[in-house]
Amino acid sequence: MELILATAACDPSVDIICAPANVNELFEFREAIFTIAGFPVTRTVILILSIALIVSAFLFFGLRKKSIVPTKFQAAVEAIILFVRDGVAKEIIGEHGAKYAPWLLSIFLFILVGNMFEVTPFINFPVTSRMALPVLLAVITWVVFVFAGIKRQGFGYFLGIIWPSTVPIFLRPLVGLIEFFSILILRPLTLAIRLFANLVAGHLMLVLLIVSGWVFISSVGDIGARAGIGVAWFVMGLGIFVFELVVIVLQAYIFTLLSAVYVQTSLYPEH
Amino acid sequence: MYMALNLILATEAVTPTAEESGGIDLLLPAPEELIAGLIAFSIIFLVVWKFALPTLKATLQQRQDAVKSELESAEKSKQEAATLLADYKAQVAGARKEAAQIVADAREQGEAVKADIIARAEAEADQIKARAHEEVLAERERVAGDLRRQVAELSIDVAEKVVTSSLDAEAQRVLVDRYIEELGGVR
Repeated sequence: MELILATAACDPSVDIICAPANVNELFEFREAIFTIAGFPVTRTVILILSIALIVSAFLFFGLRKKSIVPTKFQAAVEAIILFVRDGVAKEIIGEHGAKYAPWLLSIFLFILVGNMFEVTPFINFPVTSRMALPVLLAVITWVVFVFAGIKRQGFGYFLGIIWPSTVPIFLRPLVGLIEFFSILILRPLTLAIRLFANLVAGHLMLVLLIVSGWVFISSVGDIGARAGIGVAWFVMGLGIFVFELVVIVLQAYIFTLLSAVYVQTSLYPEH
Repeated sequence: MYMALNLILATEAVTPTAEESGGIDLLLPAPEELIAGLIAFSIIFLVVWKFALPTLKATLQQRQDAVKSELESAEKSKQEAATLLADYKAQVAGARKEAAQIVADAREQGEAVKADIIARAEAEADQIKARAHEEVLAERERVAGDLRRQVAELSIDVAEKVVTSSLDAEAQRVLVDRYIEELGGVR
């Protein structure tokens, strides 16, 4: 509890909880635990780097045996990889899909594990609710789909966006403008904000319900039976916990799916 | 959010500190997190690209090959079994035919032996009959010869008696009666 709300200066022996002065303090852990050559290693930085470790370990231990008859763990890892490779990359992008599978699978696993930190005991903090990660991934997706379009169609890719030939000529400037904003600016922005907002909202709900529950229950000496409200908050918090598990997987999937769709529209604009 | 928290915490009379930087900070990516994210993503991408996908591809290929070869060997075994079964069936059919042949041969032989025995028995019976017949004939011949000789002797006797005694009517009748009696005794 102190870990989450550690920033406000207060006396834990007097206050039940150290209330944050600002909502940002539920998300910002900018104090460097230590620095490497001037680079501040914060709690969030450690968590982000540990995603790489977890994903690598997951893949390594899941795949190293190459058994003909897979263990349950191996089968699960294979199922996830095949889900992204076949279910997303090949299914959405088509014949060139397999080429984009490493990128899509990386995005999926990175977001999934980053999101999972939201409901991981003792971590309880989705690093994907830090704008840095959604922005980073959205920019990568933007670069990939723009380059896919240029590689496939040359600079006709941009021309196709701002001067869409399938639209009546008098509407082309308007539609072209809308398309330009929609594809090149709104796409990465919405991609980033969707992920960010979902995880921020989820984290806030969990913090609110569980902290409220904690406050009420531990005030039982002062407020008597009314402290029972805290139990309701806790139960609700647990319900949201399950709901968040769904959101975690769904958001990772949606980000990956939309990235694939964007590449597909760059490769085959006629569709 | 801040309001809501305060509402809940109002009973505790916690006074929030004055510093309010506003929510906008939340929307700006922190540079160190951006760099950490880039490093983490690069590592994941490398692992996925160079290890995970090729390894999985190899594993799936291996699995596919194994299944294929299993199926092929199963098919081969099936064919072998079918050939073997056909062989056995042919063998059984051959054996059955042979057995039938043996039985038929035995029966034929039996019949032949039977016919032979009957023929031989008949022949023997005929032979016995013929011999008996011959013996009977010979006996008859001998008896007839004897009879003839006795008749001759009797005739001679009678002639002698006729010659030696008087030949009255009474005497002749007695003589003839005796002769006839003698004849009857001969028979």
